[in-house]
Amino acid sequence: MTDVTVSSALRLHPRVSIRPEPFGALLYHFGTRQLSFLKSPRLLAVVEAVGDAESVGDALATAGVRDEEFPIYLRALGTLRESEMLVERAA
Amino acid sequence: MGHITEPETEVEVESESLVEEVSIDGMCGVY
Repeated sequence: MTDVTVSSALRLHPRVSIRPEPFGALLYHFGTRQLSFLKSPRLLAVVEAVGDAESVGDALATAGVRDEEFPIYLRALGTLRESEMLVERAA
Repeated sequence: MGHITEPETEVEVESESLVEEVSIDGMCGVY
C-alpha cells in the first residue's frame, strides 16, 4: 500500500466524483471505473478537506479526527491513494 | 466509608478498514 503520512499533500483526482451517503460516501473514478465506499462520514470530511489543507495532518485535524485515530485514517487514505482516488499534490 | 469510583473513560478506536473498494467492470448487463 502507498504510505500516506501526516506530512503528505493530497487532493482528489479530477475524475473522481463524490456522492455523500448516510454511512459516509461513495467515490466513483471515471478513469478506472472503480468505486470506493467510505464507511465513515468523518473520512468523507477528511477527503473533502485534504485538497485545501496544507497537509494530511491538517485535514485530519480540521475534520476532528483524534490523534489516536490517525493510524486508521492514514491507512484509509493510503488505500484511496493506491486506487488513485487521491493523488499527490505539490506541497 | 464508600469508595469513590471514577467513571471509566474508554477510547474506542475502530480496527476495521474505513474504505472498501469495488470495481464495476464485469457488471455490464446488470442495468
